[in-house]
Amino acid sequence: MLRKLLAATTLISVGMISTASAETITMWVRSGIGDSFKEVVKAYNSGHENKVEMTEVPFSELVQKYATAIAGGQAPDALSLDLIYTPAFAAADQLEDLTDWAKALPYFNSLSPSHVKLGTYEKKIYGLPLSVETSIFAWNKDLYKKAGLDPEKAPKTWDEITANAEKIRALGGDTYGFYFSGGGCGGCMIFTFTPLTWGAGADILSADGKTATLDTPEMRKAVDIYRNLVAKDTVPAGSASDNGVNFLSFTNGKIGQQSLGAFAIGALVTQHPEINFGVTLIPGVDGKPSSFAGGDNFVITKGTPKLSAVKEFLEFTYSLEGQKIMAKYGSLPTRGDIADQVLEGLDPRLKVGIEAIAVAKTPYTLQFNDLINSSNGPWATFINAAIYGDDVDGAFSNAQSEMQSIIDAAQ
Amino acid sequence: MTTSGIQTTMSRRRPRRNPGWRGLLYIAPAMGLVTLFFVLPVLFTVWMSLHKWPLLGAPKWSGFGNYIRMFQDQRFFSALGFTAYYTIIVTIAIFAVAFPLAIFVEKQRPLVSAYRTVIFLPVVVGLASASLLWVWLANVDSGLFGPLFEMLGLTTGRLNLLAKFDTAFLTIVAMVVWKIAGFTMIILLTGLQAIPQELTEAARIDGARRWQRFRYLTLPLMRRTMALALILSVTGSILAFDQFYIMTSGGPQNKMISVVYYIFNQSFVSFNLGYGAALSIALLAILVAISVMQLWLLKVGDERP
Repeated sequence: MLRKLLAATTLISVGMISTASAETITMWVRSGIGDSFKEVVKAYNSGHENKVEMTEVPFSELVQKYATAIAGGQAPDALSLDLIYTPAFAAADQLEDLTDWAKALPYFNSLSPSHVKLGTYEKKIYGLPLSVETSIFAWNKDLYKKAGLDPEKAPKTWDEITANAEKIRALGGDTYGFYFSGGGCGGCMIFTFTPLTWGAGADILSADGKTATLDTPEMRKAVDIYRNLVAKDTVPAGSASDNGVNFLSFTNGKIGQQSLGAFAIGALVTQHPEINFGVTLIPGVDGKPSSFAGGDNFVITKGTPKLSAVKEFLEFTYSLEGQKIMAKYGSLPTRGDIADQVLEGLDPRLKVGIEAIAVAKTPYTLQFNDLINSSNGPWATFINAAIYGDDVDGAFSNAQSEMQSIIDAAQ
Repeated sequence: MTTSGIQTTMSRRRPRRNPGWRGLLYIAPAMGLVTLFFVLPVLFTVWMSLHKWPLLGAPKWSGFGNYIRMFQDQRFFSALGFTAYYTIIVTIAIFAVAFPLAIFVEKQRPLVSAYRTVIFLPVVVGLASASLLWVWLANVDSGLFGPLFEMLGLTTGRLNLLAKFDTAFLTIVAMVVWKIAGFTMIILLTGLQAIPQELTEAARIDGARRWQRFRYLTLPLMRRTMALALILSVTGSILAFDQFYIMTSGGPQNKMISVVYYIFNQSFVSFNLGYGAALSIALLAILVAISVMQLWLLKVGDERP
């Protein structure tokens, strides 16, 4: 009943809108991906007859909000969907098939391959790359200098990072050496923390995604490194309950070092020019670096009446102008063919983000929300229990068995 | 004679039958609303609970599968356990604060309406806004409590209230008492004011002391009011969700997942609407049972006041 009513209202409003010549596309974007998308929308709206109306949704709630909106017939025309969710929504038959149009794009073959791969389900393309980011390690050069460290020397191992963190903490007051969102932000930690184990060749899931392999010597080492950083008081107390809201604490200028994303480089460069920072790859527990290749896919809700307007907008973001705006605010170029042109004249630190792609991984599982991103999921709980709790062994065994049971229940 | 006899019986019967129909007519709008917005949704929930019902895609009949799963679901039972623990603690805390406040503001004294207003003010703040406010108050870096405790010398260094179960739980209980006690106070106040002055005076003349008057006069006469306040408080606490969702996202290491939070997670994070519906029905049954039990314990049905 409610559904019919909603559908009827949507139909009526759609009918009213389509009588006008210019169309307004509604689009959702998750919070925490920086300003690149906002800026590209702004540029598009000022130069085109069609308009994009953007709504920012908290990243931890985007999936359920979108799923509920689809069920209620009120879904936006398109959205910027965390790429790891594309297979799940495509499998549920909720996305528009873009295969023919995508393959006709002259630059289709140079679009970020991992995005296209995750956007493809049963040989049809449902999602195309919108933003690309990798996780990187950033340090505050001013604080390095104050602490008597060489501000130009990027740390290569976690021993170095820990020693530097202690020296920065010794400056006293509310200056701290390190930061992470340790209070149940699964998304933040899969992005910044798992590279420690990936670099050393371990992973939290088996390659087919059907076995949880959390309890490895590498993960135990990684947990010890973070526990040690906390024990030495180099991390602000707020970290233990930060569910991701303060992920960008580095921007306050009082954090010496933090693992961040390429989006944060954009945010720092454009909004916090006062912070003098360097970036490098995130070292693994044995020193070999790794990274998380993430970002968003552009997906279109199945059956939207504004398909052509949506496509026009996407083509704009793929143009050199669009790519340049996106890159300026931290989204790495999605088109490989013009990447050099796009990055020309932009902040050189973004190049580290590009380098990271070569060593980066993206986990593939249909249960990503349940396993990793949900703030009550096993991964988020594990992070808090293992790093801040008293029973590390218990944290490992609980999370390992809960992850496995979630995977098994979904088979 | 005979006709008039028939007439009298008819005229006697008509007024008796009419009020019945008229009464039904009067309550029809209310019944209609209750049916539309309560009975039908509950029936629909029951229907959903008998299916494997994903948020996206087609539902599939599963009979009592969801209910069987419920009885083997450890996490559901720990959510029930936590909710019971929370309900008991918070209800005691609310009454412990609200009762003295009600007695305090009942007597006519200077500024009494100002006191009543001030105590009642937090009630009109939405629970979500109140939770957000307290998240800020409890924030370890930029909030109030952490730096304040440090300044007063109660803690060495900053204490992150929301990082450990005990302190986070205390913070939430304090927030709820601050927010709800005023409402309970008003309910209890109406009960106190309904006690006739003569009874208190008579008791005083009989030589009853203050405590005796409270124990043998005030408390028994307030049974109905207390039942109302208790049921509202217990029901509200069992349905608690906002404060845990907003203030601690389920608490350090999922130790603060209330039943409603768990239902929300099952329905909208794991997308098992059918299972969520089954849990909701179970919760409804529990709530009805508890309310009936409370009414029976407080003997509200009795004719004697």
